Amino acid sequence: MTRTHTPEETKAAMHEVVLEMYDRMMKGEAPTMTLPVRTKKNIGFDSKLGVYKYGKKRSIRDAKSLGSAKQLLRALHVIEFIEEMIDAGKSSTLREMYYISEGWGHGHFSSQNESNNLAEDLEIVTKCLREDFKLRPEEDGARMIGDITLNERNRRGEWMRINARDDVGDSGYGVPYNVEAEKIQLLEHDVDFIMAIETGGMFDRLVENGFDEEHRCALLHLKGQPARSTRRILKRMNEEWNLPVVVFLDGDPWSFRIYASIAYGAIKTAHISEYLATPSASYLGITADDIVAYDLPSDDLSRKDVEALKAELTDPRFADSWWQEQINMMLDLGKKAEQQSLAKYGLDFVTDTYLPEKLAEMGH
Amino acid sequence: MHMGIAERMASAHKQIAISEFFEKNKHFLGFDTDTRALITAVKEAVDNALDACEEARILPTINIKISKHDAKRDIILLEVQDNGPGIPMKSLENVFGKLLYGSRFHVIRQSRGQQGIGITGVVMYGQLTTGKPSRIISKIATEETAVQVNIGIDTQKNKALKTKQERITWTDEDGELIEQGVRISTKMKAKYQRGRQSVYQYLRMTSIVNPHAEIFFTDPDGETTHFPRVTEKLPRIVDAIKPHPSGLHLGQLQRMLKSSDERKLTSFLRHNFSGVSKRAAKELVAAAELEEFNKPKLIKPDDAQALLEAMNGKRNGSKGKPVKLLPPPTNCLSPIEEMLIKKGLSKTIDSRFIATLTRPPVVSQGNPYQVEVGLIFGGGMPADKPVEILRFANRVPLMYQQGGCLLTKAIESVDWRQYGLEQAGGKGVPKGPAAILIHLASTYVQFTSEAKEALADNEEVFGEVRRAALEMGRGLRRHLEKRRKMAKTKEKFELINDILPAIAEKSAALLNKPVPALSGAITRIMNAVICQETTEWNKATKQTDISIILYNYTARPRSYTILVSWPERLAEMVANERGGRKEALGLWAWKLETIEPGMRAEVTYSLTGLDKGDWNETEVFYRGAGDVIGASVLDEKILAEIRKQERGGLDITPTEDQDVPIELNENPIGNGSSTSAPLEVDAENISESDNVPPEPIDSDLEADVLAESSPPGDASTNASPSLSAPAVTGADDLGQAVMNKTTDLFKQQKLFDGGDAQ
Repeated sequence: MTRTHTPEETKAAMHEVVLEMYDRMMKGEAPTMTLPVRTKKNIGFDSKLGVYKYGKKRSIRDAKSLGSAKQLLRALHVIEFIEEMIDAGKSSTLREMYYISEGWGHGHFSSQNESNNLAEDLEIVTKCLREDFKLRPEEDGARMIGDITLNERNRRGEWMRINARDDVGDSGYGVPYNVEAEKIQLLEHDVDFIMAIETGGMFDRLVENGFDEEHRCALLHLKGQPARSTRRILKRMNEEWNLPVVVFLDGDPWSFRIYASIAYGAIKTAHISEYLATPSASYLGITADDIVAYDLPSDDLSRKDVEALKAELTDPRFADSWWQEQINMMLDLGKKAEQQSLAKYGLDFVTDTYLPEKLAEMGH
Repeated sequence: MHMGIAERMASAHKQIAISEFFEKNKHFLGFDTDTRALITAVKEAVDNALDACEEARILPTINIKISKHDAKRDIILLEVQDNGPGIPMKSLENVFGKLLYGSRFHVIRQSRGQQGIGITGVVMYGQLTTGKPSRIISKIATEETAVQVNIGIDTQKNKALKTKQERITWTDEDGELIEQGVRISTKMKAKYQRGRQSVYQYLRMTSIVNPHAEIFFTDPDGETTHFPRVTEKLPRIVDAIKPHPSGLHLGQLQRMLKSSDERKLTSFLRHNFSGVSKRAAKELVAAAELEEFNKPKLIKPDDAQALLEAMNGKRNGSKGKPVKLLPPPTNCLSPIEEMLIKKGLSKTIDSRFIATLTRPPVVSQGNPYQVEVGLIFGGGMPADKPVEILRFANRVPLMYQQGGCLLTKAIESVDWRQYGLEQAGGKGVPKGPAAILIHLASTYVQFTSEAKEALADNEEVFGEVRRAALEMGRGLRRHLEKRRKMAKTKEKFELINDILPAIAEKSAALLNKPVPALSGAITRIMNAVICQETTEWNKATKQTDISIILYNYTARPRSYTILVSWPERLAEMVANERGGRKEALGLWAWKLETIEPGMRAEVTYSLTGLDKGDWNETEVFYRGAGDVIGASVLDEKILAEIRKQERGGLDITPTEDQDVPIELNENPIGNGSSTSAPLEVDAENISESDNVPPEPIDSDLEADVLAESSPPGDASTNASPSLSAPAVTGADDLGQAVMNKTTDLFKQQKLFDGGDAQ
């Protein structure tokens, strides 16, 4: 499966956006840009793809207010910039684009967030990806350790064969920002499943305790809310090798969101959920149950935590009964717990007791 | 008059040494702490200087210097010098060496000195805390040399002790001869502090309400602050008035009776009180069941009581009603006046908006008083702190007991949230980048205590302050709304002038197509008529230049009449090429040609006779169809009211038993844009007007009354009489807007003080 577009396809798709503005002005109207509403109210489950996608709600950004008009002008500058990069065979980071925009007069960005959002807007309306746009994110990808072998094309254009257990140090294999077929080829593996882990501390604990070898799994460090490339490589390993994915996170509302973005797609990137989401990924813990069952050291929920949990209750991605039960239980408890709170019972408790018990429960 | 320090001390010092009395009562004399003692000392000296200059019609320049004399023992040297008329040598010992010297305690008029113990208190305090006399230098213009003398106080005899008196040639630092003035140098135990209650703050506040004064202040670090003079206009001379019967107390009446040489009781009443006509005097005597020919000196206490009741309105006269009296004259008051408050405020505080209001004088219990309020907003003031409240009584700053003061309470009673300030629960001191000034001018200021730092509760004064504050608030809200609209309009202009053309060019370039024409898109985006007003001070011409541009960004031709507010009484309109016509007082109108879609029309003119900062914003109104962003639709009903008052005002002749002709039947604020509470305010105003019914005027007294109540030069005499109350206090529209600007047309919703209406 390839999801990228040729330069010609990308340019044509972007010209559609420009044409919409141009035609409106020719008709004596204010220029517009039409794009899906990007809130949780407009995401729905796509049963064919098994992920959450944007629904039919469209918002029209028109140039009747100064803010929107500036957005349109910026979009044109970005399109021009992308065309230049495609023609010159270059790429830039989103941050570089933000700085380059300083020279765009009225079309310059006033924050990095604005330029990131606009790049996403363009992806959504053109159905292209930022890889097509030659834009890369600032964030680096995750780390991975386990008996997995892949080919990565290095900057000299040569393929390098890397085993993510034998050819790497303790910090593991660093996942690059582009993990599409032209950059990464998945070669072979000798593991039974992949475990995605939220915190670096826990990742290192599992590595030190040799959990990957003992339990025949690959460990992937998510670094909090996982970058696109992290979710994408997880998705590819799941799909191409048919490997199950379990997700091991803190037990708080924010971790629930991380899981949802891995399994169902993030609201911000719902336009490419089918490329990024791994619907079969399962949530291992920490669950609200675990806080009680393992008597874990816990913190009180903050006001923001409670708000987040309540928002999740109405989020379509958490609509099933298991999640509703977990969220309500956490609200009732008024507590949250970190992964590393398992250390209460010693450094090996997580690898010797907790994870084996939970994995067995889940049928691994 | 209030049983004050004067009487108490007069009786007290007979038994104990005056120093002991001072020691015991220093809390209400203002010398209770080292910090406060210094403020009080500065205050007494500065008050003296200001009063002396005012009486001598001199523009005051006052130098205050505070330095550390003996830091270990907290001894400070205070030096205050003025350019006043000086004090003759023979009076020096009384002014500086005798407590309660002077006439101010016995005369009813507005004066600063009413509030303090006087400069002798400073000499006394210095002597008690350091054992040293004060050094005085005084020079009067007619003498060659100055007098220099050390003055202390014999605390047993309340008498000055003069030492080292000599004639000197008095020169300034540059060796120039000083023509006239007084200088006092006193060493005292005191502490210099900064902050809300400090010498600096006192001088800053004094400077605000005395815009005619120039003040230099050098603090103990040697840093000098200059509070400049912003007007050459001296406060007008206030006349002393006789007491008014309605607020009289028994003791006062008895004293006056006893010391009277009149042979007839009626003459006594007519000659010793204000507001008592020949007829009224007869009626009062009758109401008290006394005889016209009773000798005042011989009136017995019971009869005095009866007379007092009649005078206080508690006994009915022949008509079965209390005897009608004329209100006391109000020319004994000296308000600062709006334009000067504005100047005073803007010289010490940076701001974007200032509104000021001088309410008409009113009378409470026989005492005339007048409320003035100023509100200054924006600029460098902190947005998250409580608003600074600057309180003044008779031009004297009140710096302590803010929370217990009537003036503060009146401000706190206003729901400032509706006017754009933050206020928890709609009560209390609001928060925001603003300062509120309140000035009460009165012949008799009621304080909560003898410390004289907070005004006592008084419903009528409270109402006056509150009404004035509400009006300030409405002005502020209009200003903020206008700013918001202007910001929005500015954005729209940026959109169509910069962004849209850029979108057109860039999209055309990317598609390799011709650049599209934008007029259609612009009309769609704006779909409005936009009014841009700029009012700017022109340094070169010393004029205020005004430009009003109307852009038609709709698809249809539009035609409008544009009207602007302008300070007709203070300024002249020049360079007005379009001509136009006067629509009403302070309101000029131009009928514009039809503006085609995409076109514009401009009106320009200048104002002369104003100073920089006098006129910063021009209110624009229009007649015509559709909305104009940046201007308000003219409310014809209000305009009709204004015209009616201008035209018909002079016909109003009050006759006996008839109330002031105020039209209560309808609220002319009709177009719903008002968000304030005009009804509530209306009601207040109506009742206020009722407070002072017009008085039938005795023919033999009429001339007197006229002379008393309308001094020449008072702006109010020229104005047409009262616009009906509802129109004036109604909310957002013309009445309001014009009112704040044209200063005096609509200020007259007050008592009928006779002079104007005749």
